[in-house]
Amino acid sequence: MAALPTMRPLGCLRSLLKTQGVMQPQLRCRFLSTAYSQRPQHVPLPQNVPEQFLSQLPTRMRPENAPKPIKVYTPPPSARKACKDPVAKVTESQLETLDPKGERKALFDYRRNPRSVKPGDIVRVTFKNGDPFNGVVLSIKLRGIDTSFLLRNELTRVAVEMSVKVFNPNVQSMEIVQRAQRKIRRARLYYMRSRKHDRRSVENVVNAYIRQKKAFMGGGKR
Amino acid sequence: MAPRLPGGLLQLSQSLWDAQLIVPHISVRNFGIRSLNPPKPSRFNNHPDLPILESTSTAALRRKAYSLPLRTGAIGIKKGMTAIFDTETGKRIPCTVLQLDRVEVVSHKTRQKHGYFAVQVGAGWKHPSNVPNSLLGHFSANSISPKRHVFEFRVKDEAGLLPVGQSIQANWFQEGQYVDARSNTKGKGFAGVMKRHGFHGQDRSHGVSLKHRSMGSAGPSQGGGSRVYPGKKMAGNMGNTQNTVQNLKILKVDAESGIVVVSGRSINYPLACSFSPSLFANLFVILFPGAISGPKGCVVRIQDAIKKPWPEIASTETADAAATAA
Repeated sequence: MAALPTMRPLGCLRSLLKTQGVMQPQLRCRFLSTAYSQRPQHVPLPQNVPEQFLSQLPTRMRPENAPKPIKVYTPPPSARKACKDPVAKVTESQLETLDPKGERKALFDYRRNPRSVKPGDIVRVTFKNGDPFNGVVLSIKLRGIDTSFLLRNELTRVAVEMSVKVFNPNVQSMEIVQRAQRKIRRARLYYMRSRKHDRRSVENVVNAYIRQKKAFMGGGKR
Repeated sequence: MAPRLPGGLLQLSQSLWDAQLIVPHISVRNFGIRSLNPPKPSRFNNHPDLPILESTSTAALRRKAYSLPLRTGAIGIKKGMTAIFDTETGKRIPCTVLQLDRVEVVSHKTRQKHGYFAVQVGAGWKHPSNVPNSLLGHFSANSISPKRHVFEFRVKDEAGLLPVGQSIQANWFQEGQYVDARSNTKGKGFAGVMKRHGFHGQDRSHGVSLKHRSMGSAGPSQGGGSRVYPGKKMAGNMGNTQNTVQNLKILKVDAESGIVVVSGRSINYPLACSFSPSLFANLFVILFPGAISGPKGCVVRIQDAIKKPWPEIASTETADAAATAA
């Protein structure tokens, strides 16, 4: 409906009319369905209904069709309780054969054993195939069966690092050649890779140790 | 509606029908009268020498006969990884440790009823109040305690159906045999195309802005249909999908603690690793070298490897079962 421009200010009255027109029919007539009524209460079935009345009940409500309790069977003994940490068990059983006396474990258990290998020590490792390797211990990783340590040395003026698994059966022996000269304040001595702090070759120290050891052993034999 | 006849005979047949309807007592003389509906050859090709149809369930089962394991698998829980040293060569073999916890046969799937043979296996235990009644009834009907994990393992034939209620211990697998391990990979959430599909992304510079890790064009131009093809690799949810690692070697089995140690990679050299017998009297399974998908504590389904010869125990057991059944 197009209103004349002059009638526009009267448009504000329209909303007033509208509300009245909507409100009134609601009050006048109300549908039965919207009338409030009490919600029917659930009447429980009387206990011990006489048998002659049972046939009047719907079949699902008869006592013979009542839900039967489901029998629940007891579980067998749990393997999880029997062995809570299988990985530890596997490791343990391996260590029993690889390190029966626990010597190797103690040699690197620097948290508990004060006489263990520590970063900064010079260690000599001999392997079953006969090639020994010497070096400064840069770090020790305690990881159960994967416990390893990192050795650094210089061979033919080339810096060489070797990670050795402590429990590897190829490792024949590990011995401490020289303890760290000063107190080491770090657990991982990666700063020794920098030119300023590089220990360079440890062959001289190791050779001296071997000579001394030989003399000692020979003296003992005589 | 009466069958339609060839054009020439149409009129005649009409008159015959009429005559029969009007005078029902007249005797029909068959001799010397040719049938109006000569027998037609079947429209279907039912010759006995025809090749067997390949799109049937029977044919599908026949095709799968060589790749379906003879015996059921087991449900394990991944407990973590460790390593085993070969005492002879000193080789370190990374391995995954699985634990079998109360693994029992719940029910069977049979060819007659379900169309294939499979063993439904359950593991663990779940409190009955947390199990829906329908499932509780299923367990109860088979006299099994409620299981936390239930999976099916397909087997080749009836001989592979273990009796319901039988528990599967870790020594179901032999040391040295090969298995396939199925598990869900670690979920990575909503991942971009570079992480999810290994796209190269876009340039760091040369005018690229805010698009360094996104995909380029999603579809071809006008010549290619000017639309995005179904299955286009895009960003989306990554991980938490089933993955099968095949041909893992069983390194160690301990039935008492239900441990299976599985190797990470398939290895071809003989393995000599010694375990103290006191600890490994009977309980885990160890899978060999390598990694099984999923985090620690995930469910892993292991079954005889389909790409290796069946383990000897499987073939003998199934033969025995077949003999007893016969």
